[in-house]
Amino acid sequence: MAVKRIAAETLIELAVETLRKEIQPILPSEHRYTAAMIANALEIVRREILMDGETACWNLLDEVYPEGDGDMKKLALDIRSGRVNAKTVPDLHKKLRAIVVEELTIRNPRFLKSRQKQN
Amino acid sequence: MQVANRPRTLDPENLGSLANWLAGVLDARRVSFAEATLLGGGAIQENWRLVVDVEGGPREGHHAWVLRTDAVARISLSLDRAAEFGVLKAAYAEGVTVAEPIARCSDPKVIGAPFLIQAYVPGVAQARRIVRDPALKDFGESLAERLGAELAKIHSITPPRDDLNFLPLPMLPPARNEVAKLRNALSSATEPRPALEYILAWLDVHAPKPELITLVHGDFRTGNYIVNDGKLGAILDWEFAHWGDRHEDIGWIMARCWRFGNDGLETGGIASREAFYRGYRSAATLPIDESLIPYWEIMAAAKWATVAVLQGDRYRKGGEESIELALTGLMPPEMELDALDGIEALIATGDPRWQ
Repeated sequence: MAVKRIAAETLIELAVETLRKEIQPILPSEHRYTAAMIANALEIVRREILMDGETACWNLLDEVYPEGDGDMKKLALDIRSGRVNAKTVPDLHKKLRAIVVEELTIRNPRFLKSRQKQN
Repeated sequence: MQVANRPRTLDPENLGSLANWLAGVLDARRVSFAEATLLGGGAIQENWRLVVDVEGGPREGHHAWVLRTDAVARISLSLDRAAEFGVLKAAYAEGVTVAEPIARCSDPKVIGAPFLIQAYVPGVAQARRIVRDPALKDFGESLAERLGAELAKIHSITPPRDDLNFLPLPMLPPARNEVAKLRNALSSATEPRPALEYILAWLDVHAPKPELITLVHGDFRTGNYIVNDGKLGAILDWEFAHWGDRHEDIGWIMARCWRFGNDGLETGGIASREAFYRGYRSAATLPIDESLIPYWEIMAAAKWATVAVLQGDRYRKGGEESIELALTGLMPPEMELDALDGIEALIATGDPRWQ
């Protein structure tokens, strides 16, 4: 018989399932939204444990700051000041979109799927 | 009398203090409460339904009112309760469908937080309940038409106005002014958002030519109006009101982020775009420039993304332990994706204004 490893992500999965199946249906209606938020928060944590959510981010940072001295804060400031724009980084739009998609893969994959279906 | 649900700001002790304060403001001999009930949906601020007996003075009688407290910390883009009350009064006087403003109090000593009191309007305001109402197919189009006409009424309020002199006039063209406000708000934010900065830079460079400045509600969307039996009860939440470009409000209610999953119903998830435009045209003196609305929908996504960053900061650094605020703080990429795709779609039209 295979022995299950009780890993953090497995525990979270079980917690969400128990919350949804056993607790949510018996909660008074005014607390159901809170329970849904708790389940949502736990699922974000589970995906964060399982996925690497920073590949697109480093792709862009490596391109803009080849010396390795850049971070997201610097990038945001440089875009605001105009130092980094679509002329200095021709595929800036595409690369920023990739970062946003990567974040959504962890934070809200359902939303991402709905947008991909529409576009 | 009974204080129902979870008492927070109001409790049996300070109800007396509220009654005394109200009696003074209303010029009444005595004010008493038959009921004070905390209404749902107030994670950030509290809404209390009050059943009030007023003895003496111009408001003598039995009333149902709502008391709304200020949030513990308001985000930097919003008006305080005193200013919001001023805008409400102006809108009410203009015949806009709002709950009658009764009184406001800036003194936190009365009940522990500043608050305003308005007439109670029955009905539903929760967006998800409205967009999932099985009867929406029967009332959605006429409701959207009515909302369009109401918004045109709001936009008939133009500066200068002595009663609204606390609202600053934009120093830049309205769209650029909005970008400046959002950038300013983001300057103190904890989480850097390069995509949002890129979107704001695009909006700034492609700002439409300024036209007539009007009152802009600033948060005119499903969730911020009451529906009662399929009809409009009242327009709520005036804390983002400002002078600006009226297309901003239209772009806001049309933006995909405010359709609550009913993406095919472009007016706030309740009806077609055309129904809203029809209502607006019926009451407006100026035509809508429909070609500008996609630009303002991108602005709407950028604004909501900014507000989400700020709401998250109320958790991150403001000390408000709320799961709702923390989750809202994770939402910016949703709006950023809509805005980035909106920019791409506008560029693809080939229209020289958006290149």
